[in-house]
Amino acid sequence: MSVVTTTGLTRRFGPITALDRLTVELPAAGVIGLVGPNGSGKSTLIRILLGLIRPTGGSASVLGSTIGSPRSYASRVGVLIESPAFIPGLSARANLVSLARLRRIPLERVDAVLVQVGLMGRDREPVKRFSVGMKQRLGIAAALLSDPELLVLDEPTNGLDPAGIVEIRELLRDLGRNGRTVIVSSHQLSEIEAVCDHLVVIRFGELVFSGPMTEVLKRTREHVDIAPEHTADVGRLQAALSSAGWAVTAVDDVLRVAAGADRAADLNRAAAGAGITLSRLIVTQDSLEEIFLEMTGRVDGELANGRAAVPGRVA
Amino acid sequence: MLAVVRSELTRLLQPRFLLIWFGLVALFAAMVNTIMVTFVSGGGSLPPGAPGVAFPSLAEMESPSGLMAGLAAAANLFGVVTLSLWATTTAADYSSGLIRLLVAAEPRRWPLLAGKVGALLVVTAAATTVAAIVNVLAAVPAAAAAGISTAAWGTDLVEVIATAWLNLYLALCVWGVLGLVIAVLSRSAAVAIAIGVGYVLVVESLIKMVGDAPSDWLLGTTLSAVASGGSEAVAYGTALILALGYVTLGLVTAGVVVVRRDVTD
Repeated sequence: MSVVTTTGLTRRFGPITALDRLTVELPAAGVIGLVGPNGSGKSTLIRILLGLIRPTGGSASVLGSTIGSPRSYASRVGVLIESPAFIPGLSARANLVSLARLRRIPLERVDAVLVQVGLMGRDREPVKRFSVGMKQRLGIAAALLSDPELLVLDEPTNGLDPAGIVEIRELLRDLGRNGRTVIVSSHQLSEIEAVCDHLVVIRFGELVFSGPMTEVLKRTREHVDIAPEHTADVGRLQAALSSAGWAVTAVDDVLRVAAGADRAADLNRAAAGAGITLSRLIVTQDSLEEIFLEMTGRVDGELANGRAAVPGRVA
Repeated sequence: MLAVVRSELTRLLQPRFLLIWFGLVALFAAMVNTIMVTFVSGGGSLPPGAPGVAFPSLAEMESPSGLMAGLAAAANLFGVVTLSLWATTTAADYSSGLIRLLVAAEPRRWPLLAGKVGALLVVTAAATTVAAIVNVLAAVPAAAAAGISTAAWGTDLVEVIATAWLNLYLALCVWGVLGLVIAVLSRSAAVAIAIGVGYVLVVESLIKMVGDAPSDWLLGTTLSAVASGGSEAVAYGTALILALGYVTLGLVTAGVVVVRRDVTD
Protein backbone atom coordinates (compact mmCIF):
# COMPACT_ATOMS: atom_id res chain seq x y z
CA MET A 1 0.00 0.00 0.00
CA SER A 2 1.25 3.50 -0.87
CA VAL A 3 1.10 6.31 1.63
CA VAL A 4 1.81 8.95 -1.02
CA THR A 5 1.18 8.69 -4.74
CA THR A 6 1.94 11.35 -7.30
CA THR A 7 1.13 11.18 -11.00
CA GLY A 8 2.68 13.68 -13.39
CA LEU A 9 2.88 16.21 -10.55
CA THR A 10 4.08 19.54 -11.88
CA ARG A 11 4.64 22.92 -10.29
CA ARG A 12 5.96 25.95 -12.06
CA PHE A 13 6.95 29.29 -10.53
CA GLY A 14 6.96 31.59 -13.51
CA PRO A 15 9.72 30.34 -15.81
CA ILE A 16 11.06 27.91 -13.21
CA THR A 17 9.80 24.34 -13.16
CA ALA A 18 10.19 23.16 -9.60
CA LEU A 19 8.47 19.82 -10.15
CA ASP A 20 8.39 18.28 -13.58
CA ARG A 21 5.78 15.54 -14.11
CA LEU A 22 6.86 13.69 -10.99
CA THR A 23 5.37 10.25 -10.68
CA VAL A 24 6.25 8.29 -7.57
CA GLU A 25 4.74 5.98 -4.98
CA LEU A 26 5.96 5.97 -1.41
CA PRO A 27 5.34 2.78 0.56
CA ALA A 28 3.54 2.82 3.90
CA ALA A 29 5.39 2.07 7.15
CA GLY A 30 9.07 2.70 7.55
CA VAL A 31 11.39 5.64 7.07
CA ILE A 32 11.65 7.17 3.60
CA GLY A 33 14.54 9.42 2.66
CA LEU A 34 13.81 12.26 0.26
CA VAL A 35 17.04 13.62 -1.15
CA GLY A 36 18.15 15.82 -3.98
CA PRO A 37 20.45 18.76 -4.61
CA ASN A 38 19.43 22.30 -3.68
CA GLY A 39 16.57 23.40 -5.91
CA SER A 40 15.61 19.85 -6.80
CA GLY A 41 11.99 20.34 -5.75
CA LYS A 42 11.94 18.49 -2.41
CA SER A 43 10.35 21.31 -0.45
CA THR A 44 7.94 22.06 -3.28
CA LEU A 45 6.81 18.43 -3.24
CA ILE A 46 6.35 18.50 0.54
CA ARG A 47 4.41 21.75 0.39
CA ILE A 48 2.09 20.43 -2.29
CA LEU A 49 1.44 17.26 -0.31
CA LEU A 50 0.59 19.34 2.77
CA GLY A 51 -1.76 21.66 0.89
CA LEU A 52 0.44 24.73 1.34
CA ILE A 53 0.78 25.29 -2.40
CA ARG A 54 -1.15 23.96 -5.34
CA PRO A 55 0.29 22.04 -8.27
CA THR A 56 0.05 23.46 -11.77
CA GLY A 57 -0.43 19.99 -13.20
CA GLY A 58 -0.83 16.33 -12.34
CA SER A 59 -2.37 14.77 -9.29
CA ALA A 60 -1.39 13.31 -5.95
CA SER A 61 -2.88 11.56 -2.99
CA VAL A 62 -1.84 11.31 0.64
CA LEU A 63 -3.09 8.49 2.88
CA GLY A 64 -5.62 7.63 0.21
CA SER A 65 -7.12 11.13 -0.12
CA THR A 66 -6.52 13.52 -2.97
CA ILE A 67 -4.44 16.59 -2.22
CA GLY A 68 -7.42 18.67 -3.33
CA SER A 69 -8.98 17.96 0.07
CA PRO A 70 -6.08 18.15 2.53
CA ARG A 71 -8.49 18.44 5.43
CA SER A 72 -9.34 14.77 5.03
CA TYR A 73 -5.81 13.74 5.96
CA ALA A 74 -4.36 16.76 7.82
CA SER A 75 -5.15 15.32 11.26
CA ARG A 76 -3.22 12.15 10.35
CA VAL A 77 -0.08 13.96 9.26
CA GLY A 78 2.62 15.56 11.41
CA VAL A 79 5.04 18.03 9.90
CA LEU A 80 8.31 19.78 10.55
CA ILE A 81 8.83 22.03 7.57
CA GLU A 82 12.15 23.78 7.23
CA SER A 83 13.05 25.46 10.52
CA PRO A 84 10.78 24.94 13.54
CA ALA A 85 8.26 27.80 13.79
CA PHE A 86 7.10 28.94 17.21
CA ILE A 87 6.15 32.07 19.11
CA PRO A 88 9.45 32.97 20.81
CA GLY A 89 7.88 34.69 23.83
CA LEU A 90 5.74 31.68 24.69
CA SER A 91 6.92 28.62 26.57
CA ALA A 92 7.46 25.35 24.75
CA ARG A 93 4.40 23.97 26.50
CA ALA A 94 2.18 26.93 25.55
CA ASN A 95 3.27 26.64 21.93
CA LEU A 96 2.34 22.96 21.91
CA VAL A 97 -0.95 23.63 23.74
CA SER A 98 -1.83 26.19 21.08
CA LEU A 99 -1.23 23.63 18.33
CA ALA A 100 -3.08 20.93 20.27
CA ARG A 101 -6.11 23.18 20.62
CA LEU A 102 -6.04 23.98 16.91
CA ARG A 103 -6.03 20.28 16.07
CA ARG A 104 -8.47 19.33 18.86
CA ILE A 105 -5.90 17.03 20.42
CA PRO A 106 -6.24 16.12 24.13
CA LEU A 107 -3.72 18.13 26.16
CA GLU A 108 -2.32 14.92 27.68
CA ARG A 109 -0.51 14.44 24.36
CA VAL A 110 1.53 17.58 25.10
CA ASP A 111 3.13 15.87 28.09
CA ALA A 112 3.64 12.68 26.10
CA VAL A 113 5.51 14.34 23.24
CA LEU A 114 7.56 16.52 25.60
CA VAL A 115 8.79 13.33 27.27
CA GLN A 116 9.31 11.66 23.89
CA VAL A 117 11.70 14.37 22.65
CA GLY A 118 13.40 14.92 26.02
CA LEU A 119 12.09 18.43 26.71
CA MET A 120 10.09 17.70 29.83
CA GLY A 121 11.56 19.87 32.58
CA ARG A 122 12.44 22.67 30.17
CA ASP A 123 8.89 22.96 28.86
CA ARG A 124 7.98 26.12 30.80
CA GLU A 125 10.90 28.13 29.47
CA PRO A 126 10.24 30.58 26.65
CA VAL A 127 11.27 29.23 23.27
CA LYS A 128 13.49 32.27 22.67
CA ARG A 129 15.90 30.86 25.29
CA PHE A 130 16.15 27.52 23.47
CA SER A 131 19.21 26.44 21.51
CA VAL A 132 18.82 25.43 17.86
CA GLY A 133 18.82 21.79 18.92
CA MET A 134 16.11 22.31 21.53
CA LYS A 135 13.96 24.17 19.01
CA GLN A 136 14.47 21.24 16.67
CA ARG A 137 13.29 18.85 19.37
CA LEU A 138 10.26 21.06 19.94
CA GLY A 139 9.55 21.02 16.21
CA ILE A 140 9.60 17.24 16.26
CA ALA A 141 7.34 17.25 19.32
CA ALA A 142 4.85 19.43 17.43
CA ALA A 143 4.96 17.00 14.52
CA LEU A 144 4.30 14.07 16.85
CA LEU A 145 1.45 15.80 18.67
CA SER A 146 -1.38 14.18 16.74
CA ASP A 147 0.26 10.74 16.94
CA PRO A 148 0.24 10.82 13.13
CA GLU A 149 0.28 7.97 10.65
CA LEU A 150 2.55 10.01 8.40
CA LEU A 151 5.37 12.24 9.59
CA VAL A 152 7.04 14.65 7.20
CA LEU A 153 10.30 15.99 8.62
CA ASP A 154 12.58 18.44 6.89
CA GLU A 155 16.17 18.17 8.22
CA PRO A 156 15.05 16.70 11.58
CA THR A 157 18.55 16.47 13.07
CA ASN A 158 19.55 20.00 12.11
CA GLY A 159 21.33 21.68 15.03
CA LEU A 160 21.40 18.60 17.26
CA ASP A 161 24.58 17.46 18.97
CA PRO A 162 25.88 13.92 18.26
CA ALA A 163 23.99 12.42 21.20
CA GLY A 164 20.82 14.20 20.10
CA ILE A 165 21.26 12.93 16.55
CA VAL A 166 21.52 9.35 17.76
CA GLU A 167 18.46 9.86 19.99
CA ILE A 168 16.31 11.29 17.19
CA ARG A 169 17.58 8.63 14.80
CA GLU A 170 16.38 5.96 17.23
CA LEU A 171 13.03 7.73 17.60
CA LEU A 172 12.52 7.80 13.83
CA ARG A 173 13.50 4.14 13.51
CA ASP A 174 11.05 3.22 16.28
CA LEU A 175 8.26 5.14 14.60
CA GLY A 176 8.97 3.37 11.31
CA ARG A 177 9.08 -0.03 12.99
CA ASN A 178 5.77 0.66 14.74
CA GLY A 179 3.88 1.10 11.50
CA ARG A 180 4.26 4.87 11.04
CA THR A 181 5.56 6.30 7.80
CA VAL A 182 8.28 8.91 8.24
CA ILE A 183 9.42 10.96 5.27
CA VAL A 184 12.77 12.58 6.02
CA SER A 185 14.05 15.26 3.71
CA SER A 186 17.73 15.87 4.36
CA HIS A 187 21.06 16.81 2.91
CA GLN A 188 22.85 14.72 5.50
CA LEU A 189 23.23 11.54 3.51
CA SER A 190 24.90 9.68 6.36
CA GLU A 191 21.70 10.27 8.33
CA ILE A 192 19.56 9.05 5.47
CA GLU A 193 21.72 5.96 5.09
CA ALA A 194 21.55 5.23 8.81
CA VAL A 195 17.81 5.63 9.20
CA CYS A 196 15.92 5.06 5.96
CA ASP A 197 14.36 1.93 4.54
CA HIS A 198 13.43 3.55 1.24
CA LEU A 199 15.08 6.28 -0.79
CA VAL A 200 13.64 8.80 -3.23
CA VAL A 201 16.08 10.92 -5.22
CA ILE A 202 14.85 13.87 -7.27
CA ARG A 203 16.75 16.34 -9.39
CA PHE A 204 15.40 19.33 -11.31
CA GLY A 205 11.94 18.23 -10.16
CA GLU A 206 12.28 14.87 -11.86
CA LEU A 207 12.44 11.45 -10.27
CA VAL A 208 15.92 9.96 -10.42
CA PHE A 209 15.41 6.97 -8.16
CA SER A 210 12.78 5.47 -5.88
CA GLY A 211 13.33 2.15 -4.20
CA PRO A 212 14.46 0.29 -1.11
CA MET A 213 17.68 1.44 0.49
CA THR A 214 19.05 -2.09 0.08
CA GLU A 215 18.72 -1.67 -3.69
CA VAL A 216 20.70 1.57 -3.52
CA LEU A 217 23.39 0.00 -1.43
CA LYS A 218 23.69 -2.81 -4.00
CA ARG A 219 25.00 -0.15 -6.33
CA THR A 220 28.01 0.37 -4.12
CA ARG A 221 31.27 -0.77 -5.63
CA GLU A 222 34.40 -1.83 -3.88
CA HIS A 223 37.69 -0.23 -4.71
CA VAL A 224 41.18 -0.35 -3.34
CA ASP A 225 43.08 2.74 -2.32
CA ILE A 226 46.83 2.30 -2.54
CA ALA A 227 49.80 4.57 -1.93
CA PRO A 228 53.48 3.91 -2.75
CA GLU A 229 56.10 4.21 -0.03
CA HIS A 230 57.68 7.13 -1.91
CA THR A 231 55.25 9.69 -3.33
CA ALA A 232 57.59 10.24 -6.28
CA ASP A 233 56.54 6.76 -7.47
CA VAL A 234 52.84 7.62 -7.82
CA GLY A 235 53.08 8.32 -11.55
CA ARG A 236 55.18 5.24 -12.25
CA LEU A 237 52.81 3.02 -10.24
CA GLN A 238 49.77 4.40 -12.04
CA ALA A 239 51.37 3.77 -15.43
CA ALA A 240 52.40 0.23 -14.47
CA LEU A 241 48.93 -0.70 -13.20
CA SER A 242 47.16 0.90 -16.13
CA SER A 243 49.32 -0.97 -18.61
CA ALA A 244 48.47 -4.18 -16.74
CA GLY A 245 44.75 -3.50 -17.34
CA TRP A 246 43.72 -2.04 -13.96
CA ALA A 247 41.33 0.95 -13.92
CA VAL A 248 43.24 3.52 -11.88
CA THR A 249 42.48 7.09 -10.90
CA ALA A 250 44.80 9.33 -8.92
CA VAL A 251 43.45 11.23 -5.93
CA ASP A 252 46.32 13.37 -4.64
CA ASP A 253 49.05 10.89 -3.59
CA VAL A 254 46.66 7.96 -3.48
CA LEU A 255 45.64 5.76 -6.37
CA ARG A 256 42.08 4.44 -6.42
CA VAL A 257 41.83 1.11 -8.23
CA ALA A 258 38.47 -0.30 -9.29
CA ALA A 259 38.77 -3.73 -7.72
CA GLY A 260 37.31 -5.78 -4.90
CA ALA A 261 38.94 -7.20 -1.81
CA ASP A 262 39.56 -10.47 -3.68
CA ARG A 263 42.03 -8.69 -6.02
CA ALA A 264 43.98 -6.89 -3.30
CA ALA A 265 46.77 -9.46 -3.25
CA ASP A 266 47.08 -9.33 -7.09
CA LEU A 267 47.34 -5.57 -6.85
CA ASN A 268 50.07 -5.81 -4.25
CA ARG A 269 51.97 -8.29 -6.43
CA ALA A 270 51.63 -6.02 -9.48
CA ALA A 271 53.10 -3.11 -7.53
CA ALA A 272 55.95 -5.28 -6.26
CA GLY A 273 56.51 -6.48 -9.85
CA ALA A 274 57.04 -2.85 -10.83
CA GLY A 275 59.58 -2.51 -8.01
CA ILE A 276 57.33 -0.38 -5.82
CA THR A 277 56.56 -1.04 -2.17
CA LEU A 278 53.11 -0.03 -0.99
CA SER A 279 52.74 1.90 2.24
CA ARG A 280 48.95 1.73 2.16
CA LEU A 281 46.39 -0.73 0.78
CA ILE A 282 42.83 -0.22 1.91
CA VAL A 283 39.68 -1.83 0.54
CA THR A 284 36.72 0.60 0.62
CA GLN A 285 33.15 0.93 -0.69
CA ASP A 286 31.30 3.83 -2.33
CA SER A 287 29.39 5.84 0.25
CA LEU A 288 25.77 6.85 -0.27
CA GLU A 289 27.16 10.31 -0.92
CA GLU A 290 29.15 9.03 -3.90
CA ILE A 291 26.16 7.13 -5.25
CA PHE A 292 24.03 10.22 -4.77
CA LEU A 293 26.51 12.41 -6.62
CA GLU A 294 26.64 9.87 -9.42
CA MET A 295 22.83 9.84 -9.63
CA THR A 296 22.44 13.59 -9.53
CA GLY A 297 25.37 14.46 -11.73
CA ARG A 298 27.44 16.37 -9.14
CA VAL A 299 25.55 19.60 -9.67
CA ASP A 300 24.07 22.25 -7.44
CA GLY A 301 20.51 22.28 -8.66
CA GLU A 302 20.04 25.98 -8.01
CA LEU A 303 23.00 26.97 -10.11
CA ALA A 304 23.00 24.41 -12.89
CA ASN A 305 21.62 25.06 -16.36
CA GLY A 306 20.51 28.57 -15.54
CA ARG A 307 17.75 27.25 -13.29
CA ALA A 308 18.48 29.80 -10.60
CA ALA A 309 16.12 29.20 -7.72
CA VAL A 310 13.70 31.77 -6.46
CA PRO A 311 14.40 32.23 -2.73
CA GLY A 312 11.61 30.79 -0.69
CA ARG A 313 10.04 29.01 -3.58
CA VAL A 314 12.14 26.27 -4.94
CA ALA A 315 14.29 24.41 -2.50
CA MET B 1 -13.78 27.59 14.35
CA LEU B 2 -13.90 27.60 18.14
CA ALA B 3 -10.75 25.46 18.14
CA VAL B 4 -8.96 28.09 16.08
CA VAL B 5 -10.10 30.87 18.43
CA ARG B 6 -8.86 28.94 21.47
CA SER B 7 -5.57 28.20 19.76
CA GLU B 8 -5.08 31.85 18.80
CA LEU B 9 -5.98 33.01 22.30
CA THR B 10 -3.33 30.71 23.75
CA ARG B 11 -0.74 32.48 21.60
CA LEU B 12 -2.13 35.96 22.22
CA LEU B 13 -2.20 35.70 25.98
CA GLN B 14 1.51 36.41 26.36
CA PRO B 15 2.15 38.70 29.33
CA ARG B 16 4.56 40.94 27.38
CA PHE B 17 2.20 41.32 24.43
CA LEU B 18 -0.76 42.14 26.68
CA LEU B 19 1.35 44.47 28.80
CA ILE B 20 2.32 46.48 25.72
CA TRP B 21 -1.24 46.58 24.37
CA PHE B 22 -3.03 47.36 27.61
CA GLY B 23 -0.21 49.58 28.84
CA LEU B 24 -0.35 51.79 25.75
CA VAL B 25 -4.13 51.97 25.94
CA ALA B 26 -3.99 52.91 29.63
CA LEU B 27 -1.26 55.46 28.99
CA PHE B 28 -3.22 57.16 26.19
CA ALA B 29 -6.46 57.09 28.20
CA ALA B 30 -4.80 58.82 31.15
CA MET B 31 -2.80 61.22 28.99
CA VAL B 32 -5.62 62.34 26.72
CA ASN B 33 -7.98 62.80 29.67
CA THR B 34 -5.51 65.04 31.44
CA ILE B 35 -4.73 67.08 28.33
CA MET B 36 -8.37 67.27 27.30
CA VAL B 37 -9.63 68.47 30.67
CA THR B 38 -6.89 71.08 30.92
CA PHE B 39 -7.54 72.18 27.36
CA VAL B 40 -11.34 72.38 27.70
CA SER B 41 -11.27 74.15 31.08
CA GLY B 42 -8.93 76.75 29.56
CA GLY B 43 -11.42 77.50 26.79
CA GLY B 44 -9.11 76.27 24.02
CA SER B 45 -10.24 74.96 20.66
CA LEU B 46 -8.47 72.57 18.32
CA PRO B 47 -7.48 73.64 14.82
CA PRO B 48 -9.80 72.27 12.13
CA GLY B 49 -8.61 69.06 10.51
CA ALA B 50 -6.52 67.88 13.43
CA PRO B 51 -5.89 64.21 12.72
CA GLY B 52 -8.68 62.29 14.35
CA VAL B 53 -8.75 64.28 17.58
CA ALA B 54 -12.06 65.74 18.75
CA PHE B 55 -12.23 67.47 22.16
CA PRO B 56 -15.67 68.27 23.58
CA SER B 57 -16.88 71.69 24.67
CA LEU B 58 -17.05 72.63 28.36
CA ALA B 59 -20.84 72.12 28.32
CA GLU B 60 -20.41 68.65 26.88
CA MET B 61 -17.75 67.87 29.48
CA GLU B 62 -20.12 68.82 32.27
CA SER B 63 -22.99 66.74 30.85
CA PRO B 64 -23.56 63.10 31.96
CA SER B 65 -21.58 61.83 28.94
CA GLY B 66 -18.62 64.05 29.89
CA LEU B 67 -17.28 61.26 32.10
CA MET B 68 -16.49 59.14 29.03
CA ALA B 69 -15.57 61.96 26.62
CA GLY B 70 -11.90 61.02 26.92
CA LEU B 71 -12.53 57.67 25.27
CA ALA B 72 -13.87 59.28 22.11
CA ALA B 73 -11.15 61.93 22.16
CA ALA B 74 -8.42 59.28 22.28
CA ALA B 75 -10.21 56.92 19.92
CA ASN B 76 -7.82 57.31 17.03
CA LEU B 77 -4.78 56.88 19.29
CA PHE B 78 -6.33 53.67 20.60
CA GLY B 79 -7.04 52.85 16.97
CA VAL B 80 -3.42 53.18 15.96
CA VAL B 81 -2.40 50.94 18.86
CA THR B 82 -5.04 48.38 17.87
CA LEU B 83 -4.02 48.48 14.21
CA SER B 84 -0.38 48.00 15.17
CA LEU B 85 -0.99 45.04 17.44
CA TRP B 86 -3.40 43.26 15.10
CA ALA B 87 -0.83 43.79 12.34
CA THR B 88 2.05 42.60 14.53
CA THR B 89 0.38 39.38 15.56
CA THR B 90 -0.82 38.66 12.02
CA ALA B 91 2.52 39.37 10.37
CA ALA B 92 4.32 37.29 13.02
CA ASP B 93 2.57 34.18 11.69
CA TYR B 94 4.30 34.79 8.37
CA SER B 95 7.68 36.03 9.64
CA SER B 96 8.04 33.13 12.09
CA GLY B 97 6.91 30.55 9.56
CA LEU B 98 4.11 29.51 11.91
CA ILE B 99 1.61 29.91 9.08
CA ARG B 100 3.03 26.73 7.52
CA LEU B 101 2.21 24.73 10.64
CA LEU B 102 -1.20 26.35 10.99
CA VAL B 103 -2.26 25.67 7.40
CA ALA B 104 -0.89 22.13 7.53
CA ALA B 105 -2.93 21.54 10.71
CA GLU B 106 -6.08 23.32 9.49
CA PRO B 107 -6.10 23.38 5.70
CA ARG B 108 -9.39 25.31 5.57
CA ARG B 109 -7.97 28.80 5.52
CA TRP B 110 -11.20 30.78 5.99
CA PRO B 111 -11.75 29.34 9.48
CA LEU B 112 -8.09 30.06 10.27
CA LEU B 113 -8.61 33.71 9.39
CA ALA B 114 -11.98 33.90 11.11
CA GLY B 115 -10.55 32.29 14.24
CA LYS B 116 -7.71 34.80 14.36
CA VAL B 117 -10.17 37.67 13.98
CA GLY B 118 -12.37 36.14 16.69
CA ALA B 119 -9.49 35.85 19.15
CA LEU B 120 -8.29 39.38 18.42
CA LEU B 121 -11.83 40.67 18.96
CA VAL B 122 -11.79 39.11 22.43
CA VAL B 123 -8.48 40.77 23.35
CA THR B 124 -9.65 44.05 21.81
CA ALA B 125 -12.72 43.89 24.06
CA ALA B 126 -10.40 43.51 27.05
CA ALA B 127 -8.27 46.44 25.84
CA THR B 128 -11.40 48.56 25.43
CA THR B 129 -12.38 47.69 28.98
CA VAL B 130 -8.93 48.71 30.23
CA ALA B 131 -9.32 52.01 28.37
CA ALA B 132 -12.75 52.60 29.90
CA ILE B 133 -11.58 51.85 33.43
CA VAL B 134 -8.48 54.04 33.16
CA ASN B 135 -10.61 56.75 31.56
CA VAL B 136 -12.99 56.80 34.54
CA LEU B 137 -10.12 56.69 37.03
CA ALA B 138 -8.33 59.56 35.26
CA ALA B 139 -11.31 61.74 34.36
CA VAL B 140 -12.67 62.29 37.86
CA PRO B 141 -9.51 63.70 39.52
CA ALA B 142 -8.52 65.56 36.33
CA ALA B 143 -11.92 67.29 36.18
CA ALA B 144 -11.81 68.11 39.87
CA ALA B 145 -8.35 69.60 39.51
CA ALA B 146 -9.41 71.67 36.49
CA GLY B 147 -12.58 72.93 38.17
CA ILE B 148 -14.97 71.18 35.78
CA SER B 149 -18.30 70.31 37.39
CA THR B 150 -18.89 66.59 37.66
CA ALA B 151 -22.32 66.87 39.29
CA ALA B 152 -24.09 65.34 36.27
CA TRP B 153 -21.62 62.48 35.78
CA GLY B 154 -23.58 60.05 37.88
CA THR B 155 -26.72 60.35 35.74
CA ASP B 156 -27.42 57.27 33.61
CA LEU B 157 -23.97 56.08 34.58
CA VAL B 158 -24.25 52.50 33.30
CA GLU B 159 -25.80 53.58 30.00
CA VAL B 160 -23.15 56.26 29.47
CA ILE B 161 -20.29 53.87 30.18
CA ALA B 162 -21.80 51.03 28.13
CA THR B 163 -22.48 53.27 25.14
CA ALA B 164 -18.99 54.77 25.20
CA TRP B 165 -17.46 51.31 25.57
CA LEU B 166 -19.49 49.89 22.68
CA ASN B 167 -18.77 52.80 20.36
CA LEU B 168 -15.05 52.65 21.05
CA TYR B 169 -15.03 48.87 20.69
CA LEU B 170 -16.73 49.03 17.28
CA ALA B 171 -14.25 51.64 16.08
CA LEU B 172 -11.27 49.65 17.36
CA CYS B 173 -12.51 46.50 15.64
CA VAL B 174 -12.42 48.32 12.31
CA TRP B 175 -8.94 49.67 13.08
CA GLY B 176 -7.82 46.16 13.93
CA VAL B 177 -9.25 44.65 10.76
CA LEU B 178 -7.41 47.32 8.78
CA GLY B 179 -4.13 46.29 10.46
CA LEU B 180 -4.85 42.62 9.79
CA VAL B 181 -5.62 43.23 6.12
CA ILE B 182 -2.47 45.25 5.48
CA ALA B 183 -0.39 42.65 7.39
CA VAL B 184 -1.89 39.81 5.33
CA LEU B 185 -1.13 41.69 2.12
CA SER B 186 2.37 42.82 3.11
CA ARG B 187 3.30 39.94 5.48
CA SER B 188 5.20 42.59 7.44
CA ALA B 189 4.19 44.25 10.69
CA ALA B 190 6.45 47.24 10.04
CA VAL B 191 4.95 47.87 6.62
CA ALA B 192 1.42 47.44 7.95
CA ILE B 193 1.98 49.86 10.82
CA ALA B 194 3.72 52.39 8.58
CA ILE B 195 0.87 52.30 6.05
CA GLY B 196 -1.87 52.46 8.70
CA VAL B 197 -0.37 55.22 10.79
CA GLY B 198 0.94 57.09 7.76
CA TYR B 199 -2.51 57.07 6.24
CA VAL B 200 -4.26 58.47 9.30
CA LEU B 201 -1.66 61.02 10.29
CA VAL B 202 -0.54 62.14 6.84
CA VAL B 203 -2.73 61.08 3.92
CA GLU B 204 -6.10 61.68 5.54
CA SER B 205 -4.97 65.01 7.01
CA LEU B 206 -3.71 66.09 3.59
CA ILE B 207 -7.02 65.15 1.96
CA LYS B 208 -8.89 67.14 4.61
CA MET B 209 -6.68 70.14 4.00
CA VAL B 210 -7.73 70.24 0.35
CA GLY B 211 -10.59 72.67 0.75
CA ASP B 212 -13.40 71.23 -1.37
CA ALA B 213 -12.52 67.58 -1.11
CA PRO B 214 -15.32 65.62 0.57
CA SER B 215 -13.81 63.91 3.62
CA ASP B 216 -16.82 62.58 5.52
CA TRP B 217 -16.25 59.04 4.27
CA LEU B 218 -12.56 58.85 5.15
CA LEU B 219 -11.56 56.07 7.49
CA GLY B 220 -10.23 58.16 10.37
CA THR B 221 -13.19 60.55 10.23
CA THR B 222 -15.63 57.66 10.05
CA LEU B 223 -14.11 55.77 12.96
CA SER B 224 -13.82 58.90 15.03
CA ALA B 225 -17.54 59.43 14.45
CA VAL B 226 -18.29 55.83 15.46
CA ALA B 227 -16.27 56.21 18.64
CA SER B 228 -18.01 59.51 19.46
CA GLY B 229 -21.49 58.17 18.75
CA GLY B 230 -21.71 60.47 15.71
CA SER B 231 -20.11 63.80 14.89
CA GLU B 232 -20.94 67.05 13.12
CA ALA B 233 -19.36 65.67 9.96
CA VAL B 234 -20.87 62.17 10.01
CA ALA B 235 -24.07 60.96 11.67
CA TYR B 236 -23.73 57.85 13.84
CA GLY B 237 -25.83 55.65 11.54
CA THR B 238 -23.91 56.74 8.47
CA ALA B 239 -20.61 56.16 10.27
CA LEU B 240 -21.68 52.65 11.26
CA ILE B 241 -22.69 51.79 7.69
CA LEU B 242 -19.41 53.16 6.35
CA ALA B 243 -17.45 51.25 9.01
CA LEU B 244 -19.33 48.07 8.13
CA GLY B 245 -18.40 48.64 4.50
CA TYR B 246 -14.72 49.08 5.39
CA VAL B 247 -14.75 45.90 7.51
CA THR B 248 -16.50 43.85 4.83
CA LEU B 249 -14.17 45.05 2.11
CA GLY B 250 -11.13 44.42 4.31
CA LEU B 251 -12.15 40.95 5.43
CA VAL B 252 -13.12 39.84 1.93
CA THR B 253 -9.77 41.08 0.60
CA ALA B 254 -7.83 39.36 3.40
CA GLY B 255 -9.90 36.20 2.98
CA VAL B 256 -9.32 35.95 -0.74
CA VAL B 257 -5.58 36.54 -0.31
CA VAL B 258 -5.24 34.04 2.55
CA VAL B 259 -7.22 31.36 0.70
CA ARG B 260 -5.63 31.77 -2.71
CA ARG B 261 -2.03 32.67 -1.98
CA ASP B 262 0.66 29.99 -1.72
CA VAL B 263 2.13 29.48 1.70
CA THR B 264 5.82 29.74 1.00
CA ASP B 265 8.12 31.73 3.28
